[in-house]
Amino acid sequence: MKVTKITKEEKERAFTSIKKPEVVERQRLPVRYHVEDHDTNDRPRRFLEAFAAILKHSNYRFALEHYIRMSAKCSRCATQCQVLLATDDPHDVPCYRSELLLSVYRRHFTIAGLVRGRLTGDAGLTDEKISEMAESFYNCTACRRCVSQCPAGIDHGLIAHLGRYILSEIGIAPRALVVSVREQLEGKTGNTSAIPVPALIDTLDFLEEDMKQEKGVDIKFPRDVEGCDYAFFPAVSDFLMEAESLMGIAAVFAATGDSWTIGTGYYDGINYGLFYSDRMLERIIKKLDAEARRLRAKNILIGECGHASRSAKYFVPTYCGGQDALPVFNIIEYTYRALKDKRIRLNPDVITDRVAYHDPCNIARQSWIVEQPREILKAFCKNYVEMTPNRENNICCGGGGGTVSIDEIRPYRTTIGGRAKAEQIRAAGCRYLVAPCANCKKQLRELVEDQKIECEVVGLHDLIYKAIIFDRQDGR
Amino acid sequence: MESLLSFAGGPLFRLTFAVMVLGLLRIFILDLWGMFEAYGKAKDKKIPWKQALVRTLAWLLPVKKIPAARPFYSIISILFHLGIIIVPVFLYAHVRLWQKSIGIGWFTLSQKTADTLTLLAIAFGLALFAGRLFSRNASFISRKQDYLWPLLLLVPFITGYVCSNIPVSPKTYQIFMLAHILSGELIFVLIPFSKIAHILLLPLSQLVSLLAWRFPPDTDEAICTTLGKKGAPV
Repeated sequence: MKVTKITKEEKERAFTSIKKPEVVERQRLPVRYHVEDHDTNDRPRRFLEAFAAILKHSNYRFALEHYIRMSAKCSRCATQCQVLLATDDPHDVPCYRSELLLSVYRRHFTIAGLVRGRLTGDAGLTDEKISEMAESFYNCTACRRCVSQCPAGIDHGLIAHLGRYILSEIGIAPRALVVSVREQLEGKTGNTSAIPVPALIDTLDFLEEDMKQEKGVDIKFPRDVEGCDYAFFPAVSDFLMEAESLMGIAAVFAATGDSWTIGTGYYDGINYGLFYSDRMLERIIKKLDAEARRLRAKNILIGECGHASRSAKYFVPTYCGGQDALPVFNIIEYTYRALKDKRIRLNPDVITDRVAYHDPCNIARQSWIVEQPREILKAFCKNYVEMTPNRENNICCGGGGGTVSIDEIRPYRTTIGGRAKAEQIRAAGCRYLVAPCANCKKQLRELVEDQKIECEVVGLHDLIYKAIIFDRQDGR
Repeated sequence: MESLLSFAGGPLFRLTFAVMVLGLLRIFILDLWGMFEAYGKAKDKKIPWKQALVRTLAWLLPVKKIPAARPFYSIISILFHLGIIIVPVFLYAHVRLWQKSIGIGWFTLSQKTADTLTLLAIAFGLALFAGRLFSRNASFISRKQDYLWPLLLLVPFITGYVCSNIPVSPKTYQIFMLAHILSGELIFVLIPFSKIAHILLLPLSQLVSLLAWRFPPDTDEAICTTLGKKGAPV
């Protein structure tokens, strides 16, 4: 994969910090993203205490032990990272980034490291190193593309995930993520976009009327229906920004006739805990599961959102019952099955422009949702093209790992993080870029705008909504 | 010199070989134990065994992986690995020593094949060293051991080749043979304590990474308690 390296001017623009110098000085943290004020005293000691507590209660230690024995520093991962390919800065080599944390583990949590530290007089972790980690772990988009090319099997994504978690325990985490999670867990509205229930109801009513006008059929957004097949959780921002995706999903359900519902007790699939704190991840997953159980739903259904799907799919079983946990599906899986069973029909003459598909990392990397959206699109889009590389080896949109929510680093995201993706989109020459993920959509829209690419970023169900055919008035 | 050679080839060999075997066994068991413990603590027991196996096999026979990243480096690395594994294990002179010592022998390479593989291993080892030295990304992340290992691994190959192919005086031969044995023994001792431990741990890597994402349940409260954050706001 070749990516044009950034110019000096682009680099300056991308790394410009809008933070006030006095804030940087007060927090002693020269990172570009905003961080809430926190205790800056004795940071190394508190970092190590948090690290120790996490190691004690989690499953990370065995993996770190394995990684410190295995790491061969071959730098094959360097060929995979879209950030590094754009910056050409070896500080962005995934293995270097991982070593930042592995070296702390080796020095402070292994006998050999402790002995060596004593003998060489190495004081160990410093404030500067914590700053470097705080910068580096959020330059990474946690796309985990590097993992597939590591002969030693080191999951650099896992290490960045753990690094962010430890940092958050000493107060270092992007304010954008923390504020959203605070509203979701402790706020009045209980969701990351702060949408109160009356506003949600209004939106749903409005969308239903819209669909009636556009399609001529009654398509509903069922609310608080108990005992239904699917409790639906989109990224809550979809209610504000992705009306067509939601209408497409409602249309699919109207066509199949399966029961589904949106719970007014909790209606947010977003889980930023995945990006900075396992503790928040756990709390949010438990909240989601509690709502699905309140509704006595048989399954949890996540909307078009990569990280929301991955966090629910992999962590509902972890935090909510193991084998007895509610099954989790992504909406693409549902629609794909409906199409295969011929329960929905799509008009092949509606979308005639060129369409390309972007694989969201969180659903594609582990081969979960790869072919299903392609089969759906090929079923009704006459001019479908692939971007290369794709599927499990896709290139991140550049806003992964929660970085898309950090507005103050937009120049970085659209100049560096999304550079490889921008070149891919240009090469594809598509009219529609389908990205079934709320985070990818936001990042890609900003990317095509900043990079001046003629292309409309849409959700998969946006196009389905345009092409779905109804025969009867009740929607079936 | 002869008594030194006999000591190096006898008791010292047995000792260093035992250190390697026991050291590797120790970390292998520790790794397995860690995985076993993690699996026990995880609530989600659905491990994608097939995915782990497919990924592991893909790295044990990494032919398909070559074009994806640093292809030239990858080919050289694979050939270097083949050379340094095949030659010492199947060299006639080595197998004969094993046969004399423990009574078990196995397939051996012809001298010509062994010599060719040795020369290739030396060339590939030097290429790997140069590759690390001159690749900006690789050299940036390299530690001392990353430079020293290819060089150290070449010592027994170079000395072994000299002993079996180049006519030298008996004294020089003995010096080279001693260097050959001692460098091999140094490698044995260092293996379990360095990145070369991957010779035994590599088959576990993919499973380790898949298992590591299986978290234990209810760690929020436990960590809050340990860090004194119980009841603290988000």
